[in-house]
Amino acid sequence: MTDIIRTPAAPDASFHASDEAAARLRKRRAAETRLRVYGILAISLAALALVALMWNIVSRTINATTEHYIAMEATIAEDEDDFLGVVKDAAKAAFPYASGRRERRDIYGLFSDGAADDMRREQTEGTLVAGEGIERRFLMSDTADLYMRGTFGALEGQATAGPLTLTEEGGGYRLDAADGAFSEALGRAKAGLAREAADWRAQARRQAAGIETLTARLPDLTGAERESTLAQIARFEAERDRLNGLADGLDALVTAGRDVQIDLTNRMASFFVAARGGILKLTKVSADTALAVPLVPVEGAGTAPDGAWSLRILDRPEIGRPVKDRQVAILETLKAEGRIEEVANWRFFSLSDSTQPEIAGIKGALVGSALTMLVTFCLAFPIGVMAAIYLEEFAPKNRLTDFIEVNINNLAAVPSIVFGLLGLAVFLNFFGTPRSSPLAGGLVLALMTLPTIIIAARAAIRAVPPSIRWAAMGIGASRTQTVFHHVLPLAMPGILTGTIIGMAQALGETAPLLMIGMVAFITAVPEGITDSATVLPVQIFNWANASERAFDMRTAAAIAVLLLFLVLMNALAIFLRKRFERRW
Amino acid sequence: MTDPIKFRCEGVNVWYGDTHAIKDNDIDIHDKSVTAFIGPSGCGKSTFLRCLNRMNDTIDICRITGSLTLDGQDIYARGIDPVQLRARVGMVFQKPNPFPKSIYDNIAYGPRIHGLARNRADLDAIVEDSLRSAGLWDEVKDRLDAPGTGLSGGQQQRLCIARAIATKPEVLLMDEPCSALDPIATETVEELISGLGERYCVVIVTHSMQQANRISQRTAFFHLGNLVEYDTTDRIFSTPQDERTVGYVSGRFG
Ligand SMILES: Nc1ncnc2c1ncn2[C@@H]1O[C@H](COP(=O)(O)OP(=O)(O)O)[C@@H](O)[C@H]1O
Ligand SMILES: [Mg+2]
Repeated sequence: MTDIIRTPAAPDASFHASDEAAARLRKRRAAETRLRVYGILAISLAALALVALMWNIVSRTINATTEHYIAMEATIAEDEDDFLGVVKDAAKAAFPYASGRRERRDIYGLFSDGAADDMRREQTEGTLVAGEGIERRFLMSDTADLYMRGTFGALEGQATAGPLTLTEEGGGYRLDAADGAFSEALGRAKAGLAREAADWRAQARRQAAGIETLTARLPDLTGAERESTLAQIARFEAERDRLNGLADGLDALVTAGRDVQIDLTNRMASFFVAARGGILKLTKVSADTALAVPLVPVEGAGTAPDGAWSLRILDRPEIGRPVKDRQVAILETLKAEGRIEEVANWRFFSLSDSTQPEIAGIKGALVGSALTMLVTFCLAFPIGVMAAIYLEEFAPKNRLTDFIEVNINNLAAVPSIVFGLLGLAVFLNFFGTPRSSPLAGGLVLALMTLPTIIIAARAAIRAVPPSIRWAAMGIGASRTQTVFHHVLPLAMPGILTGTIIGMAQALGETAPLLMIGMVAFITAVPEGITDSATVLPVQIFNWANASERAFDMRTAAAIAVLLLFLVLMNALAIFLRKRFERRW
Repeated sequence: MTDPIKFRCEGVNVWYGDTHAIKDNDIDIHDKSVTAFIGPSGCGKSTFLRCLNRMNDTIDICRITGSLTLDGQDIYARGIDPVQLRARVGMVFQKPNPFPKSIYDNIAYGPRIHGLARNRADLDAIVEDSLRSAGLWDEVKDRLDAPGTGLSGGQQQRLCIARAIATKPEVLLMDEPCSALDPIATETVEELISGLGERYCVVIVTHSMQQANRISQRTAFFHLGNLVEYDTTDRIFSTPQDERTVGYVSGRFG
């Protein structure tokens, strides 16, 4: 049993000092530096992506943190029941000049249904201040709110010089100023016309293309077919000429001198003149004179001295924005009067989904998510951990357990929508679980999360050193006692980590929940796990699909809430993990 | 050498799958003395030791035949609960393996699960007794709440011995308890084991012949799964009968 120990031949003394060795060293160092640089690059890239994402969400979320109100005097009866009427009456009193139906509608459009809801809520809470001439603030509509945030562009002030004379003409006023005060407006109007002319010409070219195709087909045709094609060509030609004529007419205006008068349409920028206590909108413009209609009444004909009037332009055409020119004029006036208030938007956290963005909130989805996660956790965690313990510590190693193990691993890779289908078929259709309830959602997500938890828990249990098991069994602890007293507490940090990964996945999951109806439009906050509910990711999905612009910022805010939820969940897990780790 | 016989083993065979690890061995282990198992690596010392408290049951592929009796009772009989047996036959392992809990809880765990203490005072007494028996009391009495894993290697091993003592065993099995310790810690633990040999039946596996010589009354020499020679320690080291024993104790192989 004696080993023959062979002493290695003593190496050449200069071996590690040779040039070759130095070259090898350089090469190794270069490789290590390269690796470090790649690492730093990768991390920087990831950090940059994260910052960009955060910046995007935060910058859009900020808009959703406030809401706008208009302050007005209102008359509210003690036992008021028509709060929409209160808002309308208050608006009528505040804007007496808006007498036509159109004007009225524009005014009412500045207010949200939430203004009436607020009063109704205060009434039930007993905090509503009733009486005549009560000064209170009314919630703005989503579009007016967006205007206040500059979503549709801001009014650009134009430099003006000299006095402005208002003369009554037609239903409005003729405005006379000196020195080409309106030439900027004229220029923009002309640019608008040029765009319109280009549109006409593009349409004319389409007609021409049609003519060409038909003409090419002509030689092969005979009889009635030929006749009808010829007629069609003639129709196309007439249309082409008409469109070109329209374009020519516009182009003539564009190239005409400074005295040409151009009719302003809602396809062009809007031009507002603030003078003599009111706001006028230009309808026809030349370099020095213009025709205008008052949107906010002026003090009648007369002259506004130099510096006492201004011209402002809103570049986005009226047709391209939901806020009409009249509403812009009124909002600007209210702003100048200091009757617009911007306050923190707590409503977002106290209300549920709504078709109106300004009174849509996240509470329903938040509670729905919390309930769903609760169901998921209560099912997936104990079942997952027990399954892992059984498989790892007690199950005999045979074909059946091998088969189960392979299937659990495969389940972790099944697309989540399949779990949704399963939930639909089994829980909803067979067991009759209430549709779109956190119970159904939690069941489905628990199924989805189980494999993750089982795999993580098994890994964590396997990682517990066997010496601990021996120690316990060596002093007469049974298998079960060993597992529950020693192995499980030691594996708990790992199990929790896996659970949190699974739960985080479940929290962000949308697809399977769509299958079980959690995509429904639900305006009530769920009170139990069997109520209809929606969850955060589905709410985000719904809002992102909504056509109203104002849902944009709420989508971002909901994403921020979801991320926060996630961070809180992770923090809780880290806290628990630390607690478990501190025990040894 | 008239100590009563604690373990009587006859025709013991152990297989790990197809590996025949213990080959038809007979051995009587005496009470109130220290018995040392020596032999080259892989000869089956640990395997045999684990037969004595049925720790081999936890190894799926392990098969055991033959008769092993503790105080005349077959420990592999149907009625015997291996878990209960292990409370009577405590074990200390090669690498100190205290639970990641406080020193107190390390000792108290066994008495708790076996219901040895009726109240807290009982438990405190058991903990103190066990730690005193393991010669650790004076070193740790002020920090019973400190984690057991924070002690030095030698202290940890004595803690493991105290933990084994706490369940009031009749036999203590030790599998190379000093091989992970430095010489000074080894000396302390050896003294402790010698002392324990006066009260318990101690079986110790060791790699070191000096250690066997120092602390044991009887020594069994294993070789390739065979019990080659078993006699008093004095005779094994002074006048070994088998030439394999001669070779091993004189340090020619191993
Ligand atoms: N858990 C096990 N599974 C399979 N074979 C084992 C196991 N434990 C020990 N053996 C084998 O049994 C023989 C005896 O091992 P062991 O009792 O550990 O020897 P020793 O403790 O004397 O060094 C060795 O050949 C070893 O490979
Ligand atoms: Mg061994």
